[in-house]
Amino acid sequence: MIEAKDLVKRYGPHTAVDHATFKIERGEIVGFLGPNGAGKTTTMNMLTGYLSSTEGTVTVDGMNILEHPLEVKRRIGYLPENPPLYPEMTVREYLQFAGEIKKVPKQELSKRIDEVMWKVGITDVMGRLVKNLSKGYKQRVGLAQAMIGKPDILILDEPTAGLDPKQILEIRQLIKELGKTHTVILSSHILPEVSAVCKRILIINQGKIVADDTPENLAKRLLGGSHLLLRIDGTPQQVEATLQKVPDVKKLSFKESQERGTVEVVVESDKDKDIRRDISKALGSAGLPILMMRSLDMTLEEIFLHLTTKEEEVAKV
Amino acid sequence: MMAILKRELKSYFLTPMGYIYMGFFLLVAGVFFTFGNLITRSSQYTGFLGGILFIYLFAVPLLTMRLFSEEKRQRTDQLLLTSPISIPEVVLGKFLAAFTVYLITLAITVMYAIVVGVYGDLSFWETLGAYIGFIFLGASYISVGVFVSAGTENQLTSALVSFFSLLMIWLIDPISNSLPVDLVAGIIFASLLVIALCAYIYINTKNFYITVAVFLLGAIVITAAYFIDKVVFIGFMRKFFSWFSLNKRYENFSMGLLKVDSLVYYLTFTGLFLFLTVRLMEKQRWV
Ligand SMILES: Nc1ncnc2c1ncn2[C@@H]1O[C@H](COP(=O)(O)OP(=O)(O)O)[C@@H](O)[C@H]1O
Ligand SMILES: [Mg+2]
Repeated sequence: MIEAKDLVKRYGPHTAVDHATFKIERGEIVGFLGPNGAGKTTTMNMLTGYLSSTEGTVTVDGMNILEHPLEVKRRIGYLPENPPLYPEMTVREYLQFAGEIKKVPKQELSKRIDEVMWKVGITDVMGRLVKNLSKGYKQRVGLAQAMIGKPDILILDEPTAGLDPKQILEIRQLIKELGKTHTVILSSHILPEVSAVCKRILIINQGKIVADDTPENLAKRLLGGSHLLLRIDGTPQQVEATLQKVPDVKKLSFKESQERGTVEVVVESDKDKDIRRDISKALGSAGLPILMMRSLDMTLEEIFLHLTTKEEEVAKV
Repeated sequence: MMAILKRELKSYFLTPMGYIYMGFFLLVAGVFFTFGNLITRSSQYTGFLGGILFIYLFAVPLLTMRLFSEEKRQRTDQLLLTSPISIPEVVLGKFLAAFTVYLITLAITVMYAIVVGVYGDLSFWETLGAYIGFIFLGASYISVGVFVSAGTENQLTSALVSFFSLLMIWLIDPISNSLPVDLVAGIIFASLLVIALCAYIYINTKNFYITVAVFLLGAIVITAAYFIDKVVFIGFMRKFFSWFSLNKRYENFSMGLLKVDSLVYYLTFTGLFLFLTVRLMEKQRWV
């Protein structure tokens, strides 16, 4: 339904989005997850036709956004990072205007406005000036604007940023509800945000898509083996040589150690094997004392950090 | 387009901007009328209209400064540009909104004409001509303001740049009178124009062959013109710049002369700047 192929956006020498390729099918709820500055907003701006891509294409229902901009825009409702509101208008006037430029037929518009206001829960403030609304209500008005043209696809950029916990829960609930009837793409730099509502996560880091899977699979993929964190008195070369000889060790990733003259290493093995004794014996006989050994039970949060800080290592998994 | 026009008109009067524009224009015009016509008991109405033309130098920037600048500041341009509405529609809607406020304000001054008509001796055809001239001239001024507003994010910058652009247009006649008019200057200027055009084409298309083709074509035209009729280069620079002189053509109107070529000129000027606005907005998405 919406497809990005080798999407690139450069700002001078800086590459904000770097060959992003993905395909999102009808009815999916997809989350773009990545730290600030990762390129989520830029990607969304290209998907919605606000920005042109430097390279690559966006197609919606088989139509290229550059060749059929109006048809594509009709199918997409966009809630940007800052909801695009006119402060001097009332909520109803604003939605009237939004409906008109979204080409909602005149005779349906009034009913449609009532409908979306009710859905996002702003009926009680429809006569208020937009500038006098709280942040949470402004976000809802923004959502109403995105929905008013009956688009198939909703693109929501950080829809819960800056809201208080109660408002966050309400907006999340609303998005889940909308996900039943729309294809939804949302972005966030906070993992629970995405895993709470999305069936699929695209992790974006430094403009690149570094992972694309369901939250469960992402967890499985990284928790496929068990991980041990070791701190050892010795040099990386010695430790590597010794540990590589231990049976069932699948992968070693070295980390910076806090303690001078020591090495920290994450040892990965198959899930069902307990290799702690073998490691202990091997290091002991090599004269490399173990200062610490801890099992790493990675949460999704840690996977996210892992992916966005050590992407080179993860690529090998 | 209608939606944009309606919203923009409403916003003129929901924010103080519409009132500021009308108040400013009518106040200054009223002062001029009082001192120029009422107190001196003069029926010189077209003289009055010619005199108040300068107010637009200050008033039009007030009218156009927020059109696009404000959308960018509020990020509402994201709503417009991701909605199924084309950029020409947006530009035209905004232009027409400013133009409507302009016309309403101008219509109010018809009262003064009636006063002169009742108590004095109003030359009807000249007055009518002058008003028609104002309508077309105003459209041209506003199109410049619209273009400037699309290039800025800040209202104040937008107003200042519009003011200086209009001032330049205003001063083109005196300035272009001091430009060299000889044959060599004309040829050099024509060549510079061709080079500028080529640079523009190359930057936009990055196509080497088209650029070279245009360059050769330009060179051929200049050479041919030189051998066929050298006279075209005499005063060419002055002719070129005076094309942008909006006020010169207004004088015909206030003499009661309706010249089709002047009307076509104003419409072309307005259309050119609105087209440039559309291009500018399209370009901003490619940054
Ligand atoms: N208009 C711009 N000019 C230059 N750089 C920009 C511009 N917009 C965004 N960037 C850069 O592009 C990168 C991606 O930004 P963005 O898409 O906003 O990230 P995110 O939404 O994931 O926080 C950042 O490094 C940012 O500094
Ligand atoms: Mg962002």
